[in-house]
Amino acid sequence: MKIILLAYFLSLSVLCEARIILVGKNLPLKTIKAAIAQSTDGDTIIVSNGIYKEGRILINKKIVLIGKNFPVLDGQNKSEVLSVNADNVVVKGFKIINSGHAALEDPCGIRVYDKSNVIIENNILDNNFFGIYIQNSKNCIIKNNTVKAYGEEEQLIGNGIHCWKSENLQIIANKISGHRDGIYFEFVTNSVIWRNVSSGNVRYGLHFMFSNDDAYITNIFKNNGAGVAVMFTKNVKMFNNYFEENWGDSAYGLLLKEIADSYIFNNRFSRNTSGIYMEGTSRIKVEKNVFKSNGWGMKIQASCMDNEIVNNNYLKNTFDISTNGSLVLNTFNSNYWDKYEGYDLDKNGIGDVPYHPLSLFAVLTETNPSAMLLYRSFMITLLDKSEKVLPSITPDNFVDNTPLMKSLPL
Amino acid sequence: MKRVVFVLLTICVLNSCNSNEPKPIKLNSDSCDNCKMTISNGKFGAELITEKGRHYKFDDIACMVKFAKSGTTVSTKAFYVNDYLQDNTLIDAKKAFYLKDGSINSPMRGNRAAFSTQQEAEQYKTKLNAAPSSWDEIFNSFQ
Repeated sequence: MKIILLAYFLSLSVLCEARIILVGKNLPLKTIKAAIAQSTDGDTIIVSNGIYKEGRILINKKIVLIGKNFPVLDGQNKSEVLSVNADNVVVKGFKIINSGHAALEDPCGIRVYDKSNVIIENNILDNNFFGIYIQNSKNCIIKNNTVKAYGEEEQLIGNGIHCWKSENLQIIANKISGHRDGIYFEFVTNSVIWRNVSSGNVRYGLHFMFSNDDAYITNIFKNNGAGVAVMFTKNVKMFNNYFEENWGDSAYGLLLKEIADSYIFNNRFSRNTSGIYMEGTSRIKVEKNVFKSNGWGMKIQASCMDNEIVNNNYLKNTFDISTNGSLVLNTFNSNYWDKYEGYDLDKNGIGDVPYHPLSLFAVLTETNPSAMLLYRSFMITLLDKSEKVLPSITPDNFVDNTPLMKSLPL
Repeated sequence: MKRVVFVLLTICVLNSCNSNEPKPIKLNSDSCDNCKMTISNGKFGAELITEKGRHYKFDDIACMVKFAKSGTTVSTKAFYVNDYLQDNTLIDAKKAFYLKDGSINSPMRGNRAAFSTQQEAEQYKTKLNAAPSSWDEIFNSFQ
């Protein structure tokens, strides 16, 4: 009982201390900078609707900054707009526009410097060089923001949500478009990316570099310059994501390069030039994914080993699998291949004849891309068929011994 | 007369085949021949030309050095690097002046920046809190 009473009084005293400061065009306090100068740790600043052109606003106290009806913070193409340089800061409900576009510094909409427990929620970021930049920080939440820029090819532009050297971040339900990389992780660990939509970015929808022990779950990556890249990383979980419409010469649904011990589960790859491109990857399990209507379902380079490809559906791809060498150190088991022409006499749902997913023509185009011209010509079809019966050019251990007769309900 | 023109034309054609000029890097479209990443930063890109005249493009000077040493291709005739101060302009790697580390953040963490004059390099040394470097140092730093 005493403890409850004590807690009650304590919370009361905290409430008494924390003030609410109002900022607005028709209020005594007209600028956010002045409000921050007046505030102390624990205060809440509520900013009403309007346009605030105050240059770089620096938050150096533990405060809550709330915008009412999306007040506009305009950087006037000169500077960073909002700099967070204190722990436990909350930034909510602002429209942050026009950060500078310098080439040597990286001006941002919102930047967090070496802090922890910062929450950035429900903001609209429009036309900034970098959107939200988390640098050397811990335990931050970035939620429900809309981050938009207008980057084009041949132009320097920053990333939408850029995280560097941080841990325990939660990136949830943001919409990002028109930046260089939608979400960029470098040296970020133990973090989760959940329910974001990253589309129409100039380079990658999501880009991982040297970031171990992370997960990205239920995101949509659509129509980005080159898809999603996960590089030089280990222990990443990729669940329930959509990788769609990444077309181009060096575009992939998912590019895996030098990555190990990861798990790719229940994703959907549709209408990409290549669904997954793997190079130097090892000990990855690819399970229960759908590869549909891609140019290449998967491109597995010979530098990959000990990967397990199990229970996936390959539907309507031009090529299901392709590789650049004869060395096969990966296993394929119990996948559904719509190109499989075998039979199932014992009716156990598993084809009685092993399936060789690597077509002769896929191997030929890998070494000589212009051979693509002959695709679907009579001779090629003939060669492909004879190769199926008597593999000579394609590696004969590139095989699924238990191909499924029916596609998996994914 | 015709023969002269023909000979001249042939020389021209042969010359252009053998050109030492780098091809411009198309940002956000070309991908690095070493790390496969799309090249998007015109400050750190690089390009090499092989003895046979093939061009390879890179997003980081470190990627170029690693590629050149990897034995993927025949020996290299010329190296080019992006000038840090001019967006996406290639300069001769052996004549450039270099800085390393400090606040230089290149895409693949080679963290080397190239300048076309010693003056500029000196000037940015303090600005970027960087250390001086050289082509030899860079070439020996990456495997």
